[in-house]
Amino acid sequence: MSKDAGLAHLDTYLNQVHRHLGGLPAAEIRETLAELRAHLLDKVEGETTPARIEAAIAELGSPRDVARVNVTERVVAGLQTRRSPFWVLGAMGRLAGLSVYGLFAFLVSVLGYGSAAAFLATAVVKPFAWDRTGLWALPGGPDDRNFSWSLGVTDRPQQGHEMLGGWIIPIGIGVGLLLGWLTWRFGLFSLGLMGRRARRR
Amino acid sequence: MGRDPHDPPQGPDDLAGWETQLRKGALSLAVLAILWRGRLYGLEILKRLDADAGLSISEGAIYPLLNRMKSEGLVAAEWVEADAGHPRKYYSLTEPGRRRARDMAAGWRAFASGVNRLLTPMDGDPS
Repeated sequence: MSKDAGLAHLDTYLNQVHRHLGGLPAAEIRETLAELRAHLLDKVEGETTPARIEAAIAELGSPRDVARVNVTERVVAGLQTRRSPFWVLGAMGRLAGLSVYGLFAFLVSVLGYGSAAAFLATAVVKPFAWDRTGLWALPGGPDDRNFSWSLGVTDRPQQGHEMLGGWIIPIGIGVGLLLGWLTWRFGLFSLGLMGRRARRR
Repeated sequence: MGRDPHDPPQGPDDLAGWETQLRKGALSLAVLAILWRGRLYGLEILKRLDADAGLSISEGAIYPLLNRMKSEGLVAAEWVEADAGHPRKYYSLTEPGRRRARDMAAGWRAFASGVNRLLTPMDGDPS
């Protein structure tokens, strides 16, 4: 009975770890949980009483901490073979829920890639919709003293002033590529930083 | 004003932090060295690190480290049905892992030898 209670306690702990492993593929979640289970059973040397299991769990760490270091290491380890912007953004998304910095870095990345895409898309569309595409200064209030900026295609070209004309094509491509590259480098830096932080715990 | 990170350790806390960093720097080499003679599972590696080298690391940290080494192709892992009644995941060195261990060992010996030479004047000097 006590042995069953101990194993039930172990399974409860692993279920809690599982809940925090959401950033990993299913196969890696199974692998991680199987390894943790084997470790805990080795640790108690066959004596699966609730007290021994609890002591072993205490040495291993809280479900959240154990999951965080496993997810971070496994995601960051992917940098060995994959470094494309899409992969890096996906990796940032998987780490976003694990720490405040992870969430901040993911939001910055989304903003950076989004801005890069907006500049590139504007440059590409400009030749096909010359009068409605560009960087626009639009009146922002009834007294016309406040202005807002609009990048892209507008259906109200008569209400604003287009700033760059044809220059939006080279500028849009240049700024878009630069923003995309900077965001990608920021993503690589952030993944490395989160990996180092996870190892320090 | 923050301290220059290159300043030497000042107090007991700094000394403890320096020792922690030193041990962490040596951890990868220690794990590769422990696996040199054959495959081991996670808890065995932890016990050998502690008993043979005085390297105590948190239990939750060993598997991410081993997984990183596996991703780098330095170690291989396989599940084996054990007498203990549950399967165990055994880790062993790959050929690139053996090469890395040799290179790291050479680097470590050269580093330790140089630092030991610097420490020679301190031998037998009580001041």
